[in-house]
Amino acid sequence: MLEQPATTSPQRRAATAQETAHVASGLRSRRKRKNLLLNGLAYLVLCIIALIMLYPFYWTLITSFEPTGNIYQAKLWPSGWSIKNYVEVFQGTTVPFWRMALNSVVICTLGVVFTVGFAALAAYPLAKMQFPGRDLIFYAILTLMVLPNEAGLIVNYSTTVNLGLLRQDNPILNVLAQYAAVVLPGLASIVGLFLIRQAYLGVPMELIEAARIDGAKELTIWRRVMLPLALPTIVAFSILEFVAYWNSFLWARIVLRDKELLPLSAGLLELSGTFSTNSRAVMAGAVLTIIPILIVFAFGQKYFMKGIEGAVKG
Amino acid sequence: MTIPTRRESRREQHKKGSSGAKVTLRNTLIAYAFMLPFLILLVVYHTWPVFFGTYLAFTEYNVITPPKWVGVDNFRELAQDEQFWSGLRNSLKYILVVPVIQGLSIAVAMLVNRPMKGIGFFRTAYYVPVVTSFAVVGLIWTWMYQQEGPVNFVLQALGLMDEPKSLLNNPVTALYAVMFVTLWKGIGYYMVLYLAGLQTIAPELEEAAVIDGATRLQVFWNITLPGLRPTILVCSLLSTISAIKVFEEIYVMTSGGPAGSTYTALFYTFSRAFVDFKFGQAAAAGLVIAIISIFFGLINFRITRGGKADA
Repeated sequence: MLEQPATTSPQRRAATAQETAHVASGLRSRRKRKNLLLNGLAYLVLCIIALIMLYPFYWTLITSFEPTGNIYQAKLWPSGWSIKNYVEVFQGTTVPFWRMALNSVVICTLGVVFTVGFAALAAYPLAKMQFPGRDLIFYAILTLMVLPNEAGLIVNYSTTVNLGLLRQDNPILNVLAQYAAVVLPGLASIVGLFLIRQAYLGVPMELIEAARIDGAKELTIWRRVMLPLALPTIVAFSILEFVAYWNSFLWARIVLRDKELLPLSAGLLELSGTFSTNSRAVMAGAVLTIIPILIVFAFGQKYFMKGIEGAVKG
Repeated sequence: MTIPTRRESRREQHKKGSSGAKVTLRNTLIAYAFMLPFLILLVVYHTWPVFFGTYLAFTEYNVITPPKWVGVDNFRELAQDEQFWSGLRNSLKYILVVPVIQGLSIAVAMLVNRPMKGIGFFRTAYYVPVVTSFAVVGLIWTWMYQQEGPVNFVLQALGLMDEPKSLLNNPVTALYAVMFVTLWKGIGYYMVLYLAGLQTIAPELEEAAVIDGATRLQVFWNITLPGLRPTILVCSLLSTISAIKVFEEIYVMTSGGPAGSTYTALFYTFSRAFVDFKFGQAAAAGLVIAIISIFFGLINFRITRGGKADA
């Protein structure tokens, strides 16, 4: 417009301006339409993927509420409602459901508390103290993370046997020992150490110095300064560990011969064997096993995602 | 007490390191006390298996009696064991899942990276399979794959299949059926990682390209994809290694069957150890799998050019 020769008449100029405005608005509305179309298309694709991701869960849920009928059929709504399958699981006639739930809770609690605790303790010197061997230890730990460890299951099994954790001579002590056998191999989490160390690195050194000058012991500094300031990471990592312990089944199945001591996830597979005549009861068991994870996930979703992203960005 | 000169204090500072506290015996002991529980567990359950496992590969061992050195006998036996080779072949076939899962995860991540209403719901929905245990997921899909089940229904409705088949009981389809579950469970996980990767790409770059007249495809190919390269390396590395070591979904869904069609290398290791109690043989197979994973890890580094972000 500015480059237009000054000789053009005012009418002509006005007409051009009008034309330009018209074209611009046309473009804008076309873009708007295109965006609308694109968004609609995106929603369609998103919904289809969501259907593929969630339908198996939904299908299991509704099937678990059906009393009878063609069990494996594709459906959007159950053919009938009944809590019979849940009653069967809760009664635990064939499989000790409540005992398994208790096992899961014990294993999860022990696992999360000690995994997070040990990683949070060990990360403190590695992030904020000066001592001989620090870098060596840190790099050795990182190397272990990369090193493939296919023999893990095999050697850990032999270690567990050799530590005498699987003996069955004392009813009470052996229960504790077998819980320990399930939990111990997972307690030293290298990823957790790494994540928490990253969080500690962000704590200003002046805070720690000030506390030291005030005569605080290192344990006090850890508890009163480091832990609160690294709390978001610690919560994220705790949720990750909760999910991991709650879902673990393979190791527990290898180590625990005693069906009474199996956690829910591993017990569910046992359930599928013994309840093979009533798959609906197993489905009810599956639903009950997922629910705690979904609750924790729903509450900690923000932290959870951050924890995963942090694990990669590191 | 003397007041330190400036030079002394600087040297003192150097000795103290960046973190302030002096390197003293007491501080060192405190530091190690903090790390003690972690280090003990690390050595027992992480370091020891690496060394003892490698040693076991050259022995005959059944956990009860001490290992007996047999040299490379285990490896010779492996080489002659048709079961091991078929397991290895199936594991290598499983790598087919990697490009598919990475491609789809990038697509899904870009889709949920759009600022749209309710996008949080979709991100969460796609993540639900990730947080569910393989025990549960495997059982659900075993049911879904039944002859009269939903998967058959959909495949027939789409005209992809003529007659109902139990996909997991068919040696031709079983491995692919299990691979689909791996895909279905993994997409959400990689999606989150790619979402994080996408956020590191400056939007100005893409905007500038659009202003310069680049098409969507050009922007994706020349800006988004190179920007994602570090994430692609991490993700493809993770998924290649877990494809070679695939185990849990197979354990729950098919136990290696039917007719050995889903029998993978790690399944071989597992059954040698915990079914046949031949731990030395199992450790040898484990070592071979470890070496193969390292090899594929290096290939990943090559393909993604070491994950360097710039093209």
